[in-house]
Amino acid sequence: MTPPRAAVSRQPLRQLKNRIATGLITAGGIGVLLAILAIGVFLVWETLPLLAWDQTFAFSKLSPLAWGTLKAALAAMLFALPIALGAAMYSALFMSARLRSRVKPTLEMMEAIPGVVVGFIAGLVLAPWVERHLASTLALLIWLPISAGLAGVLWHMAASRWRQWLPLSWAGLWLLPWLVCMVLLALWFAPLLENFLLGGDLRRLLEQHWGMDYATRNALIVGIAMGFAVIPSIYALAEDALADVPTSLMEGAQALGASRWQALWKVALPAAGPGIFSAVMIGAGRAVGETMIVLMASGNMALLSVSPFEGMRSMAAAIAIELPEASPGGLTYHHLILAALVLFIFTFLVNTLAEVVRSRMRRRYHKAGRHS
Amino acid sequence: MNRFSSTPRRRLLDALWPWLCAASVALSLLMLAALLALLVVRGLGHFWPATLEEITLRSGAIVAGQPTREAPLPQAEGFERLYFTANRDIDGVSWRWVNLDDIVSRSTPSDLIRLERNPWGDFIGRLAGVETGGQLLREDQAWRYLTQALALPQAERPDAELLLVTTDGQTLRQSLSGVSQALAPNAMSWWQKMHTWSRNVWQFLSQGPRAANTGGGVWPAIFGTVLMVILMSVIVTPFGVLAAIYLNEIAHQNRLTRLVRIGVRNLAGVPSIVYGVFGLGVFVYGIGGTLDSWFFSDTLPSPTFGTGGLLWASLTLALLTLPVVIVATEEGLARIPDAQREGAVALGATRLEMLVRIVLPMAIPAMLTGVILAVARAAGEVAPLMLVGVAKLAPQMPVDGEFPYLHLERKFMHLGYHLFDTAFHGEDVQAAMPLVYATALLLVLIVLVLNLTAIFLRHYFRRQRGSEC
Amino acid sequence: MLASLDSATASQAPVTHFSSEHSALSINQFNLAYAGKSALRDLTLSIPRHRVTAFIGPSGCGKSTLLRAINRLHDLNESVAHSGNIQLEGQDIYAPQMNVTELRRRVGMVFQSPNPFPMSIYENVAFGLRLQHRLPKRQRDDIIEWALTSAALWDEVKDRLHRSAWQLSGGQQQRLVIARTLAVQPDVLLLDEPASALDPISTLKIEELIRNLKSQLTLVLVTHNMQQAARVSDYTAFLHTGELVEYGPTDQVFTNPRLQRTENYITGRMT
Repeated sequence: MTPPRAAVSRQPLRQLKNRIATGLITAGGIGVLLAILAIGVFLVWETLPLLAWDQTFAFSKLSPLAWGTLKAALAAMLFALPIALGAAMYSALFMSARLRSRVKPTLEMMEAIPGVVVGFIAGLVLAPWVERHLASTLALLIWLPISAGLAGVLWHMAASRWRQWLPLSWAGLWLLPWLVCMVLLALWFAPLLENFLLGGDLRRLLEQHWGMDYATRNALIVGIAMGFAVIPSIYALAEDALADVPTSLMEGAQALGASRWQALWKVALPAAGPGIFSAVMIGAGRAVGETMIVLMASGNMALLSVSPFEGMRSMAAAIAIELPEASPGGLTYHHLILAALVLFIFTFLVNTLAEVVRSRMRRRYHKAGRHS
Repeated sequence: MNRFSSTPRRRLLDALWPWLCAASVALSLLMLAALLALLVVRGLGHFWPATLEEITLRSGAIVAGQPTREAPLPQAEGFERLYFTANRDIDGVSWRWVNLDDIVSRSTPSDLIRLERNPWGDFIGRLAGVETGGQLLREDQAWRYLTQALALPQAERPDAELLLVTTDGQTLRQSLSGVSQALAPNAMSWWQKMHTWSRNVWQFLSQGPRAANTGGGVWPAIFGTVLMVILMSVIVTPFGVLAAIYLNEIAHQNRLTRLVRIGVRNLAGVPSIVYGVFGLGVFVYGIGGTLDSWFFSDTLPSPTFGTGGLLWASLTLALLTLPVVIVATEEGLARIPDAQREGAVALGATRLEMLVRIVLPMAIPAMLTGVILAVARAAGEVAPLMLVGVAKLAPQMPVDGEFPYLHLERKFMHLGYHLFDTAFHGEDVQAAMPLVYATALLLVLIVLVLNLTAIFLRHYFRRQRGSEC
Repeated sequence: MLASLDSATASQAPVTHFSSEHSALSINQFNLAYAGKSALRDLTLSIPRHRVTAFIGPSGCGKSTLLRAINRLHDLNESVAHSGNIQLEGQDIYAPQMNVTELRRRVGMVFQSPNPFPMSIYENVAFGLRLQHRLPKRQRDDIIEWALTSAALWDEVKDRLHRSAWQLSGGQQQRLVIARTLAVQPDVLLLDEPASALDPISTLKIEELIRNLKSQLTLVLVTHNMQQAARVSDYTAFLHTGELVEYGPTDQVFTNPRLQRTENYITGRMT
């Protein structure tokens, strides 16, 4: 059978089109990448005029802001790290696969909640509540972990029938009502305790005994609100890192007689270490740059104080408030751009570090996978 | 502790730490659920016609209002309750804290009414009569006349004067033209309340703000947000896709490409406010200022493009979301097996033909996911917009019947900023709170729905491809 | 072509030569390095027209690399360097004036695992055609029917031409890929272990197809299945660590190999 013959070739045009398109894509791609690069160039360029001015002034203006930024980020990390890492360990190592496939996207969804909403809740709902119930809040922060341990103790003491009904692999879900009860218990009990032990108002006590001022919107509030906002990003990355550790490693360690706790410390954490590190870095980067939450929940006073009950003003919030009013070319304008540059460089470096560490780890796993 | 005395610390740790971790998951879920529940209850509950109470105080005074919340007394035992009493024109205030111990009796009389008025906000009290055309209607007749009149469009409503009486006996004349809604919530059936509720929700979505953001709706903010996001996607999609194609398909895969890729990824982690600074410095002051001096020099010094506006906001957010689109598209491109590319090339396709006919169609779901994620991020982003073009109350919509119809230089309203502004710079934050909750709920819903769409799209296409391979 | 058992001459492996009118491809002193590592060393052989030539050898010996070099698929990878030349009908395919897309049309290639495009069966076969020509639908349909018939697939798919190609079985997909390649009427068809991912019955069908196709074009087959090489090929080249060890008519290579190395491989003493 002979093939039917075809005619009319389109050769030259095709090559030309290909060449033009490749050129255009290259130009466009490089252009876009350059535009992104331009952010850094612009910030540096606009900061240069500051060199002509007195340096000490810039320093004195920026240092409270830098401190505020650090304080806010620190508070957020203090709140977020235990929860995010604990949640990551639980869902990577213990949670049932079915529950995990639901819970993980839900928690990742948390990340999408706009900062302005979190900030609003923190500044206008949480802050006044905490101001009225300071003792209860602190009691909650201490009581909740204890109550979780209590649940564990009760579970170990319970009959095996109960244990099958409420397995550890679903504990993330059935601990919810337990926690709600514990919260209510703490809220009911804390004021009584406050009266009994401290003889009344904790806030007044703080003020009289330690001379600590209490601002409605303070580092505690920012910590909780921004912690809430960074939990999902830390959780997601740390969970990925832990879930990537081959289960055979953990099982092998336990087969050798290590307890689960030892297997975690000696095997899983070292193996997932870089991944967890980069998760924490990325969380920190986010906490440093978050604007709206700090703006709405911190009171925005540029203070140099370590007290968790006083407010602060972060660099991002200062930019958001002051830059629209600053006249272009003025000293304030350049100072704020310097603040933006610092933010840019810091987050960029932190993220790069995290990314490099992570890709190193991934390559190592690939190698391990090939050899096994 | 005695139970674990053999190797106490280790045994205890081994038994307890999984529970601490499990509790972290539960706590995160709890916080998320609490946040969403709070938004839903407060945001949607506001539109429900709340029962009005009439209370008699120990002093003999009679107060009518909507109970809002209770709190313990600051310096003493007991509780106090906050009532929304409206009638700002008569009392000077519209909120009142009442000590629970002072209340002698509470009742919910069915003839209490609530009027939504402009100016002066709500009125709570009784309708004594309606005067229209020299005729005086009373009791049921008056109420019926009022509801019928309010059912008509604004322009067709008759001239009338309402005679109102507050619960403490003060009278007031109010012209019908200033009234936008009249309710007697205590006399309404559940079904009627439902009806009113849905009408209120609709008004919230479709009307502009009134009475310094304490009433009305958020339509201009929704419109501004959507328009800005659409403009942004139109800008970000082609450039993001172009850059991703260049990085993944054309550029030499060497150390530099890897560096660039890491850089692009990391830009997604750069704070949004930094993009705002860039937008203000380059787009607004740089390009906008230049445009002004070239084309709009007659209106200087009042700026046209040299101030924040729709175009600059869209451009800034496009830059902000560029990494999202690039990363998502690149992931999609990387997932396409090289066998497909080689198959096309082995048939004599040029690189362009391979890209256009094989690679890009297969990468469309990934691009779509990227754009949706970008839109979700942009819709919730407020900080950069504070620098490049959002307004508390934009006098004109950015789209109107005037040439050139789309006004890129105008300021616009944005849901997120509207929320921030009403909650923190409003005149009567207490009164605006319900609307702030509603706005927050709306914003969260929009962002969550967009994210869910992206997740489902990704999931759907991945599964579809998996089954066909 | 006399057998020599002298191991000293083994490195200077004799080459089967065909006069230029019988040779479709001739490879002359071809070297190829991948990221600085030598993958093909000093290959010289010529491949006869309208015959099936099989490349055999242990994995990593460079047989697939050679196949891809003939199609210039290494162009997509920058870290590949080569020297020497490969001539298709007397033209150097690496010459600067060579049109790569035209070369790839003339030298079709079928890969190890079937890679139909995510489109209908009809569109898969029409893909190459649409690139080359603007044809009236009638004529295009004819060519598609002819290509599918040549690939022994027409009867199985003629009622579902517009269904997705991904719904076909693995063997059908591989024949579809062959049909897709035939539709642009190549002179040479390179097959890179075309049956390694298929079940025995599909493998037999592909082998039968290969035997039938040699009346139309020149076929080069890479396989690590010795029986398959023996069943379908006319000539066999044995490659080892990037070098050509032995090349000759299949009967001779399999029944009476000149070199001990070849025999070891064929009898399974070396893998």
